[in-house]
Amino acid sequence: MTAQKELERASAGRADELFRRHQHEIYCKTDVLFARLMLFQWVVGIVAALVVSPLTWSGQSSQIHIHVWAMIFLGGLITLFPVWLTRVWPGAVGTRYVIAVAQMLMSSLLISVSGGRIETHFHIFGSLVILSFYRDWRVLIPATIVVGLDHFLRGIYWPYSVYGVLSASPWRSIEHSAWVIFEDVFLVISCLRSITEMCSIANRTAALEASEQNFRQIFEEAPIGMAVVGLDERFRQANAAFCQMVDYSQEELITRTPLDITDPEDVAPHRQWAQEMLSSNGSNRVEKRYRRKGGEVVWSTRSGCIIRDGVGEPRHFLIMVEDISERKRAEAALREAKEEADRANCAKSEFLSRMSHELRTPLNAILGFGQLLEGESPTESQSDAISHILGAGRHLLELINEVLDISGIEAGRLQLSVEPVSVAEAIRQAVDLMRPLAVERAIEICLPLRIDDRLHVLADRQRLRQVLLNLLTNGMKYTRVGGMVRVSVDERNWEKIRLIVSDTGVGIPTEKFSRLFTPFDRLGAEYSNVQGTGLGLALCRRLMEAMKGCIAVESTPGRGSSFSIELPRAPLPIESLTVHEPAIMGRLSESVGPEKRTILCIEDNPSSLTLIRRILAKRPAIELLTTVQGSIGLELARQQRPDLILLDLHLPDLPGWEILAQLQACHETRSIPVIVISADATARQIDRLLSAGARAYLTKPIDVAEFSKVMGETLNSVKEGVAA
Amino acid sequence: MDARTRKILATAALAFAWSGAIAFGLCILLNYESTPGGVGRVPQTWPAKSRIAHALDRPTLVMLAHPLCSCTRASVDELARALARAQREVSVYVLFWTPNESPAWQETELRRRAAAIPGVTVVSDRGGTEARLFGAETSGQTLLFNARGRLIFSGGITSSRGHAGDNAGESALVSLINGQYAKVSRTFVFGCSLSGRQEKADQTLCPQ
Repeated sequence: MTAQKELERASAGRADELFRRHQHEIYCKTDVLFARLMLFQWVVGIVAALVVSPLTWSGQSSQIHIHVWAMIFLGGLITLFPVWLTRVWPGAVGTRYVIAVAQMLMSSLLISVSGGRIETHFHIFGSLVILSFYRDWRVLIPATIVVGLDHFLRGIYWPYSVYGVLSASPWRSIEHSAWVIFEDVFLVISCLRSITEMCSIANRTAALEASEQNFRQIFEEAPIGMAVVGLDERFRQANAAFCQMVDYSQEELITRTPLDITDPEDVAPHRQWAQEMLSSNGSNRVEKRYRRKGGEVVWSTRSGCIIRDGVGEPRHFLIMVEDISERKRAEAALREAKEEADRANCAKSEFLSRMSHELRTPLNAILGFGQLLEGESPTESQSDAISHILGAGRHLLELINEVLDISGIEAGRLQLSVEPVSVAEAIRQAVDLMRPLAVERAIEICLPLRIDDRLHVLADRQRLRQVLLNLLTNGMKYTRVGGMVRVSVDERNWEKIRLIVSDTGVGIPTEKFSRLFTPFDRLGAEYSNVQGTGLGLALCRRLMEAMKGCIAVESTPGRGSSFSIELPRAPLPIESLTVHEPAIMGRLSESVGPEKRTILCIEDNPSSLTLIRRILAKRPAIELLTTVQGSIGLELARQQRPDLILLDLHLPDLPGWEILAQLQACHETRSIPVIVISADATARQIDRLLSAGARAYLTKPIDVAEFSKVMGETLNSVKEGVAA
Repeated sequence: MDARTRKILATAALAFAWSGAIAFGLCILLNYESTPGGVGRVPQTWPAKSRIAHALDRPTLVMLAHPLCSCTRASVDELARALARAQREVSVYVLFWTPNESPAWQETELRRRAAAIPGVTVVSDRGGTEARLFGAETSGQTLLFNARGRLIFSGGITSSRGHAGDNAGESALVSLINGQYAKVSRTFVFGCSLSGRQEKADQTLCPQ
């Protein structure tokens, strides 16, 4: 509001200034007009005197008539002083007042010289009209006074010369002057109207100027380049930002066209752009390159529009140009960095895949044979050794899995299936899995008396269970024998549900909270007999964040810790959700049946091959064909038509995915189910092979029980398919 | 005193001087224009020695004029106006003083103007004989005699030297021609001197 008033005040001040300036211009111009008029009158008067009354006679002798001398000297006197004033004091009030007086005196002189002709009297009225050109009604006052005085004084001193009688009534003077005043009245009205119009024009001009100044300032000070280009393709105007961008001054630009400073490669697109602009009413935006004066390329985004006149005819282009060279450079750098990152990521993925494969392959033998030995009634000492082997192997497997999980999350490859998950069911499943360990360590697991079955959170079912298992495992590992691990649910928040796992363990000092979720940082537990990888909590945190939840910890050293996870509350599903296990996990039948079955195993690792052979040795109905070469495996598959193919991915001659593809491509082998057994546990690889037609994907090291179950189910499905 | 103030004062002084000079000049001019010419011994009856005869059935008007006097142009114009307003017949003679028979004196613009007025008889007055008989010394002097030859008006019919327009002489002349009462029967005569005899007197009246 204050700014608006300030603007109006400034505009009013400017209007006043414009009015004064306009008025002064009129005064000066009218001064010049009168100067010329008076000089003209003077010359005409002299010529008229010379023509009409050149001589005065006395008998035969003559001399120059006094009218001639009067016109030369008196007329010159009347004329030259005001003319001089128009030079010395142009536009001054005194100048126009003197002009008014002089003009009336000239009228009087001309009337005298012309012999009082009535026509010459019109000079007075004409002069008054011309005086009104000043648009200053005050100037009529001295003129009228001169006329009045002329009649008044003549009436007194030379009445015969003006009224033709020796004694004239003063009313005659008044009557003569009244006619002049009559004209004055209308001239004053005309002057006042003119002044009102001038004020109005000044106000409008000031407003226009203010508006124009405002827009000019916006144009000039705009942070982006702006230019006006004529239809002849020449620059008309350019602001400072544009000049700076292309390194040309405004004067230099005006002599050029946009094409002159356009990169040669963008000339054709520029012409097309201009044509499109002319043929459409809208504006468009393109990227183009300019050439600076020094030849450097400037990348820019240019948008523009056509400015049209009142009847819609195009007048010029208005273009707005933004320098995006920095952005282009950043984009290029980003592109290079992304490509570099992609390459690094590929290398990392390759590394992880290889590491996973290389570590899992020997683990396959360790855990597989360990499990076989465990089932062969070992002695107590052997059993103890086997449990150590299996424990260490599983620890190593856990470590590998968690490393893969974390790297997968960091690489953004973690695929979540977020859905409403029953809180009660998730807790029950996790606690059920942990109960044997709790019994072993004589730790009591306390659950809430009742968990509302209607409570659901939005989460990935498996990952939530993984987090809960991690927290429960941690609670049990760090709780003394005979301690307690409690699981509780806080459902007070309408938007989120909190699951709390608290223990009565050793607790964690507050100062170590910041390191709690750092991978491989076990806060000193690595020096204790508590086993762990140091990745569990780090993985939990990343999984929770991925599921849009969070994890928090409270702890009192010596009294225990409390880990809580918080997840968005999910609406209660309309239908009771059932957990859909993968089809391959459907039935738990381990029996294959008495009929003869043939299994082809394509595997190059001798330990793995031996393990499979040992597992299948207990099933005499199964005939096992083995090969370490992929190509031979393909040949065997075509010839023998086995009931099932077990396929490793890393083979010496052909990659496993190619063998799978060839099996799927061949009509003879297309129907044979393929179970991929690989140490490559990356999700991408698993998805790829399942998509390519593998019936199941088992990762090494093989869980013997799971292997038996999957194999049995697959063979049964084949039998059912044949029967159907 | 700064330059601007000095300039203002100088301009004001000039303006003052300018006003005074103009007033002085106008006074001289007006004084010249308003100074009547000389009048000789005007006869109260038609001069018997005149070679033109007065009409017996109407008034006779005689104007004495200098053929080259520019001031007399206004008198001739006023004569034309007066005759136009006259409702009764009148014999009119305009006698132009001429020193000789030279065309420069005989064929003047003023003479043609006078001759162009209907009812006006233009007569050359060689040597100013008639002018002397009618007692005229200034160009533009007009005399009106009634049908019996008695002088009923004498004077000029312009308000000042060479100045046309309403004036007492012209009004009186019209009234008398129309047989009406006239406020005046004598008026000043404004014009050039008719002959060298009056040259000296005329110069004193018309200082140049």
